[in-house]
Amino acid sequence: MTFIFLFLILAVIIGGFSVYAILTTKKAKANGYETWLMKFYAKDSVKTIISSVTAILLGLLVGCLFLIMFVGSEMSGRSISGFDLIDALQLIFFGGFNTGRNEFGSLIYGWNGVSLGNMLFRATPLILTGLSVGVAYKTGLFNIGAPGQYLMGTAAALIVSLTIPSDVIPPFIIWIIAFLSAIIAGALWASIVGLFKAFLNVNEVITCIMTNWIAAILVTSLFDKTTGPFNFLLDPSGDKNYKFVYKTAHNGVETIKLGLDKLFPGSQINAGIIVAILIAILMFIIINKTTFGYSLKSCGSNKHAAQYAGINSKLYITLSMAIAGGLAAAGAALYYLSGNTEFTWSTYQSLPAIGFNGIPVALLASCNPIGIIFSASFMAYLDISGLQIRNMTMYNEYISSIVSALIVYFSAFALIFKQILSGKIKLFRKKKEDISNAVDTRFKEEDYNVDKKEETDSKEVETTEEGGTE
Amino acid sequence: MDNYIIEMLNITKVFPGIIANDNITIQLKKGEIHALLGENGAGKSTLMSVLFGMYKPEAGIIKKNGEVVEINDPNDATALGIGMVHQHFKLVEVFTVLDNIILGAETTNKLGFLKKKEAREKVERLSKEYNLQVDLDAKVQDISVGMQQRVEILKMLYRDNEVLIFDEPTAVLTPQEIEELLLIMKNMAKSGKSILFITHKLNEIKAVSDRCSVLRKGKYIGTVNTSDTTIEELSEMMVGRKVDFNVFKKPSEPKEEILRVENISLKSKIKKGNVVNNVSFNVRRGEIVCVAGIEGNGQTDLVYGITGLEKITSGNIFLKGKNITHASIKERNTNGFSHIPEDRHKYGLILDFTLENNMVLQRYEEPMFQNHGFIKPKAVREYSDKLIEEYDVRSGQGSVTIVRSMSGGNQQKAIIAREMDKDHDLLIAVQPTRGLDVGAIETIHKRIVKERDEGKAVLLISLELDEVMSLSDRILVMYEGEIVGEFDPKTTTVQELGLYMAGAKRMEGGSK
Repeated sequence: MTFIFLFLILAVIIGGFSVYAILTTKKAKANGYETWLMKFYAKDSVKTIISSVTAILLGLLVGCLFLIMFVGSEMSGRSISGFDLIDALQLIFFGGFNTGRNEFGSLIYGWNGVSLGNMLFRATPLILTGLSVGVAYKTGLFNIGAPGQYLMGTAAALIVSLTIPSDVIPPFIIWIIAFLSAIIAGALWASIVGLFKAFLNVNEVITCIMTNWIAAILVTSLFDKTTGPFNFLLDPSGDKNYKFVYKTAHNGVETIKLGLDKLFPGSQINAGIIVAILIAILMFIIINKTTFGYSLKSCGSNKHAAQYAGINSKLYITLSMAIAGGLAAAGAALYYLSGNTEFTWSTYQSLPAIGFNGIPVALLASCNPIGIIFSASFMAYLDISGLQIRNMTMYNEYISSIVSALIVYFSAFALIFKQILSGKIKLFRKKKEDISNAVDTRFKEEDYNVDKKEETDSKEVETTEEGGTE
Repeated sequence: MDNYIIEMLNITKVFPGIIANDNITIQLKKGEIHALLGENGAGKSTLMSVLFGMYKPEAGIIKKNGEVVEINDPNDATALGIGMVHQHFKLVEVFTVLDNIILGAETTNKLGFLKKKEAREKVERLSKEYNLQVDLDAKVQDISVGMQQRVEILKMLYRDNEVLIFDEPTAVLTPQEIEELLLIMKNMAKSGKSILFITHKLNEIKAVSDRCSVLRKGKYIGTVNTSDTTIEELSEMMVGRKVDFNVFKKPSEPKEEILRVENISLKSKIKKGNVVNNVSFNVRRGEIVCVAGIEGNGQTDLVYGITGLEKITSGNIFLKGKNITHASIKERNTNGFSHIPEDRHKYGLILDFTLENNMVLQRYEEPMFQNHGFIKPKAVREYSDKLIEEYDVRSGQGSVTIVRSMSGGNQQKAIIAREMDKDHDLLIAVQPTRGLDVGAIETIHKRIVKERDEGKAVLLISLELDEVMSLSDRILVMYEGEIVGEFDPKTTTVQELGLYMAGAKRMEGGSK
């Protein structure tokens, strides 16, 4: 009931606001002045946010349709009822705040420290792999190699944190050494890709994919049960014999909690999220406020102009990849140095999904480092919501994963929505004359578009001729 | 009147701010080769685009065989038997030659399968008839540029086009290929095809065309029978007399040498051989040296070589006596180069950056704009605002405008502002006034002269002979990668320059 009530209030607020917006804008346009709302809307950043939110909402909508489709089908041993549907719809939005069911069997909401804490814990490595992809993207590189860099970071962090004796060196120092060595490992690993790109002009996507698998095999062979040089780090306990490397807590190395476990009781959260956010802010400053960032962006936006300006693009391409690798590896270090996460060493058949998830995280935030904090948290929240749907309703875990995937998929459309908002894409075509005029001006203004236009023209010729010969 | 196959009568085409074609009439006889001559930007291409249906003229009519026709898009043009070979070919690289020729005009049987055999026979017949040997099964990406052009010509012939438009067809060809092409054109004319031939190379016009129409700055100058005229007359028609474009300047007082270029060569990327061949010259303080020449004769590459954007294959470059042949672009930039690049979108600007960021493109690492690696946004903004004010760069939101949204002329002004304000000894300006209106051109010219008077060395590369004549203190003419003559603008004439530019004459021993 409270849920529906909240929803109604929200609807009234949004509705009222849009009526206000439409009326004031109309009046302002007629009288030739600008309201604060129009100025606000004219900002590029506002359009970015609106378009991202629209894309996400559209994804949620399609996700909901998907949930509706499965009503009545058999799942988890019982057929899905309308109640399951309503619960699931609520949980997509508010899953992280669900605290169980009351005595009447309806969902209740409140502060769920476990869910929210775990969400932030999961977001930590995602923020960093997102930054990894985003920073490389600013330099015009598509870093699909985050999984490999992540694995190298994992291996370095685990080996360093487990082999340095904690009775000689304080665990806190070990933690820092492990963290830094992970970053160095990832940076070196990624700079292989950068060097190939800079000096031999090998497409980074190819080298990234190859180094990904090389990293997977390398890490597996490092920890191999029988032959690996670090097989003494395998954990023999439990029924999953030797499947995992020791948790770093085994050597007393754990990320400090900074009281966050009080705020989110029962969750895995630790200070790693703070480190991740600080790194994101640092990257934001580097990219936007420093000469170094200016050089990086110039190389990415127009490498010819960068060359013309005397910027050494080879150096910056290599550096950009190294930074990207270091960031991905830092994500791995923050995740595994938490002390209570397990690492399956046998990774040669699959790459860590967190590395790949950095791609949607970065693109969702238009590669803005601050935006990446939120998009990574959003992805982690969707994960938690999915878990809650599985736990609280009859929908199984696959369905909830599909819904999350749909939302991510639609969020990739954010750019298109932004172009619609800024009038670059017209939803409805105007009269033919207008279009031809538009073509004409474009033709004149930008010489290099001429070829494109002529191409389309010759295509048109071809199609009609085809028709003629039939 | 009855033997005109195409008539374009009183065509006027206006673009915002410029009249590209002003009341132009051109009549093409059946079976003739009609050359269309004019400087860059004279409106030749626009006129042909009107004929090919890519633009709609504001005024004027087009007649075919004496009947008024309406050409709204290239489809109509094709239906009327008008074909065009574009300067940049429109071929599918990974298709075979035959596939490219029939693409879009495929004949199929009832089941929709291609009748390739018939097509092959037709193409083979055509290539024999017009002496256009091509390997039909070779892929386009594997054949030379000259061969690709033959494919384009075969494409037009395969479609039974009667009127063939060639848009600067010789610009990308080697001399031998040009000879062959001219022969082919003659052949085609003999067999009844009518050809419109856009060019600004006078030799070629003299060699093949029957008549020649001249355009200058969008206006129709006249049509002459090629056999009754001389290359000198043609070049005078093309360039025109000196317009009231006189830049007031004192005689130059050259001082010490700033730039010396010794025997530099650059390899061509498109054809065999060197695009810049063994070029030597110098530029001194207080003089404007201008490299004149028709587009594509190596001027662009010469500048790339000097500025370091491309590696030179041999020779040496000296800046203020120091050998900078292997210096990085940054070293050249900080030690006295300023460079207004020819391609403003590719090299001059980062289009997705704001205007203020573009204004400090080479300078953001100077202490004036940074402090321990942090950019001083205030200093950048103030500097950018100052340049905008001083050079009258107009944009929507001033310093924070994204450069992509600015007009071409203002983008150019921004580059000029940046390069002229930068500390430099040598200004290399390539086509600095391209895309600017008359008023802006005047200001830029004055500024260039002022640069000279302040003791800077200026190397100007321009395609506009007016600009060359009025600005320079010394003129070097480049033809096919070599400097074929050095002139004093006071003692030479535009006609004379035109002869050297078109390769009709050359000074023995190149530059002195």
